[in-house]
Amino acid sequence: MKRTGSYRYYRLLICCIVLLLNSRTTVQAQGVSGAPQRVVRLNAVTGMQFDKVQLTALPGENLRVILLNQDEMGHNLLITTPGKRQEVVDAALALEEKGPELNFIPPSKDVLGSLPVVYPGDSASFDFTTPETPGAYPFVCTYPGHGFFMYGVLYVGNDVKMPAPENDLNIPESRRLPDKNAEKPATANHQHSEELRLHPYELQPPYLYRAFLEGSGLAGIAVRLPEKLAFCWDATACKLQFAWSGEFLDNTDFWHGHKNAYAKVLGDIFYRDQTLYPLRIGNKDAIPSVEYKGYRIVNRYPEFRYVVNGYEVTELIREKTDGSGLIREFRIPAAIEPVWFVFSGSDGIRYETGTGKIQGNNQIVYTPGEARFFTIIMTY
Amino acid sequence: MKHIVFFLLGCFLVQFTGTAQQKTPESYLIEDIQMPEGLDAETGGIAFFPDGRLVACFTRGEVMTYSPETKEWKLFAEGLHEPLGLLVENNSEIIVIQRPELTRIRDTDHDGVADTYDKISDAFGISGNYHEFNYGPVKDRNGNYYIALNTASSGGGFRPNPRGELNLMGRDSTTGKKQMYAVVPYRGWVLKITPEGKTIPFASGFRSPNGIGFDDQENLFVTDNQSDWVETSTFSHVRQGQFYGHPASLVWDENLKGVNPFQIPVEKLDSMRTKPAVYFPHGIMANSPAQPLYLTKNNFGPFTGQFLVGEMNHERIVRVMLEKVKGEFQGACVPFYDKKGIHFGNNRLAFAPDGSLYIGQITHGWLGSKGLQRIVYTGTVPMDIEQMKLKKDGFELVFTKPVDVRSIREKSAYALRHYFYKYQKKPATEHIDKSNQSDIQEVKIRNIKISGDRKRVTLQLSELKAGYVYELKLNDVISADGTPLANNLICYTVNNLLP
Repeated sequence: MKRTGSYRYYRLLICCIVLLLNSRTTVQAQGVSGAPQRVVRLNAVTGMQFDKVQLTALPGENLRVILLNQDEMGHNLLITTPGKRQEVVDAALALEEKGPELNFIPPSKDVLGSLPVVYPGDSASFDFTTPETPGAYPFVCTYPGHGFFMYGVLYVGNDVKMPAPENDLNIPESRRLPDKNAEKPATANHQHSEELRLHPYELQPPYLYRAFLEGSGLAGIAVRLPEKLAFCWDATACKLQFAWSGEFLDNTDFWHGHKNAYAKVLGDIFYRDQTLYPLRIGNKDAIPSVEYKGYRIVNRYPEFRYVVNGYEVTELIREKTDGSGLIREFRIPAAIEPVWFVFSGSDGIRYETGTGKIQGNNQIVYTPGEARFFTIIMTY
Repeated sequence: MKHIVFFLLGCFLVQFTGTAQQKTPESYLIEDIQMPEGLDAETGGIAFFPDGRLVACFTRGEVMTYSPETKEWKLFAEGLHEPLGLLVENNSEIIVIQRPELTRIRDTDHDGVADTYDKISDAFGISGNYHEFNYGPVKDRNGNYYIALNTASSGGGFRPNPRGELNLMGRDSTTGKKQMYAVVPYRGWVLKITPEGKTIPFASGFRSPNGIGFDDQENLFVTDNQSDWVETSTFSHVRQGQFYGHPASLVWDENLKGVNPFQIPVEKLDSMRTKPAVYFPHGIMANSPAQPLYLTKNNFGPFTGQFLVGEMNHERIVRVMLEKVKGEFQGACVPFYDKKGIHFGNNRLAFAPDGSLYIGQITHGWLGSKGLQRIVYTGTVPMDIEQMKLKKDGFELVFTKPVDVRSIREKSAYALRHYFYKYQKKPATEHIDKSNQSDIQEVKIRNIKISGDRKRVTLQLSELKAGYVYELKLNDVISADGTPLANNLICYTVNNLLP
């Protein structure tokens, strides 16, 4: 056992020396044969992709290939002889239980160069002298399962004419797009969000998404209303947080996940609740305790159900038919105390109610009888 | 000329072996389910209504039903926040776990579309970290629901307005970047929710418990994904009050108030934890196990009483077999359905009333796929390892069919290794995705005994150690009728030896 230990130490020492020598090579930017070395940078990116899928090099060129892993999974990198990508991927899979210790790199004459698994956030490099024979040399990640999607091609030749991506069978199908670097038109998600096919059905307002929304607690409910209106109801705070007009949401980043993304509010926010809580029961100065219960769908509108100081409340918010604001219908069927609806006098909204008495410029009071059903119209 | 001869000979051989293999009819057939156009089929949950319709939820918030007869998809509910599991109560009611809560969704007017979304429980925190996925629910005989909550990713922060109490001790302050964390209540826990709606912290110590299921005796099992503290993915028997290894969740343990779980010495944590019943060796068996499904009926082949477990990172479903040794479950894992047309991302499993297995697939940014597939048992008994059982000095293999004695009587038919997975905090220099097998050693087989019916093979080993995974690979084993062994790699987790 001791011998193994010292042997390992010896090997480690050699590794260190090799590393030192290697780092010298980097500084000098010289390849193995002393010819100048060119650095090729590849990034592994989200969605099991290399950021570049078409590369070119001269025959016999000294390359230093640097792989930066910006993905959340480990990836290796192999360069294979032309036409052998699939065989090498299959050979890596066939390693089965020996795969992990070999970094999923199969011993094969078709593997011309390789980089062991690089973990997320890390980068590593290897030196590679391109073959003298011109051709299309695949590069691929052979981590189990990745090889079907994660590959590209290194064209080696003196006067390489790379095929256009849309015609290049050496790159993944998902990458055969013309001019992938072209800016997306700004209107892609923003101007026609409701016309894009986001679901297997047509979105007809009203409809809703539960989502992370900036300006709301983390249990947000975004509701799309007719007349290009929308609002965010916060299921933690149990209240309407804000409302906007114009386009609804861009869920692209939010649905993609992998980052603390929000569903982006499009359009213009015309209202934000600025109260500690809009409803007061029994005592207009006491901030009540609240508990969210759920919602039911009434003609496609959600009617929220929650408890305020022990009283069950329902609230249904619809559009003003001329698009100038919101109509909020509250029901507190068991009310036996007066109820206040409190608002900020300076939130840019005109408040109206059918029953109840407006007091000052920031509250409306309802008798217990009136509180069983009341309507507040908010015009901006 | 010589080349042409060899080429022709090669063709002949390929043709010959091809025909020979066609003699064995398949035991399982797989097919894709046609998904509706416009659906991003990232499948979070699947189940069947008693009336035979499939119900499935998808990460953009849709809940859809599918009739296996008419192959028609219909919208049932919409607008949910990342639903990752569902349970059927009756033909018009389901329970869905979504990011903010466990929700009861009902179609009260029976028009086929849900109209009522009631909160069952939101008594757990949300930090806003993207990785705080919620899984489940499953239900016991007393009507309690169980859900499992993912920890937050070390690769991301949390938002300024978390829901629930914030406790920064749930995140390691020294090398926190490497460790998944739990700064809001019950991340990394399995929760129990009573029929009255009371939420009870049930068991702790999970990292990414993307799989929860019961056997037929109300034993609860949870899978967890490899990463920091979880050296390789696991399958655990979960009991109330127990801790399963990842320390972050302990910050929400009532008995450890004020204790920073990341400062508890590893030896102490090790003594507190309940070990997994089965390890899934990383890169070998499974990298990201998902839902376990118990085989209650014997209409899906000869594996009744075992579990199927979805696997995200291989084109595979894994099978888990358990036995009780010294009063604790332990056992083996083996591929059940490997490649042969199955996709990646095998997240959710459910049996249809006709006995076929539906598989819901997901990628969600990791290795996976989208959509649904279905596996049908043809009734042809597969040639497979039905069971691997611990013996006093080795293992007994039980095959589904009599084996060809010549293929199994020589030691060359077996490649046996052992290794263990160290319980540790990931060294700061090492990546959390790296899984380390410790003390990999070949294990010698001393003696091979074959039963009279040729279905049982007993392997006597030169040594057998507790705390090790025994990985057995069978080379070129065939049944007496010439069928090759369907899956030849099996891994047994020896937590305990027989007394």
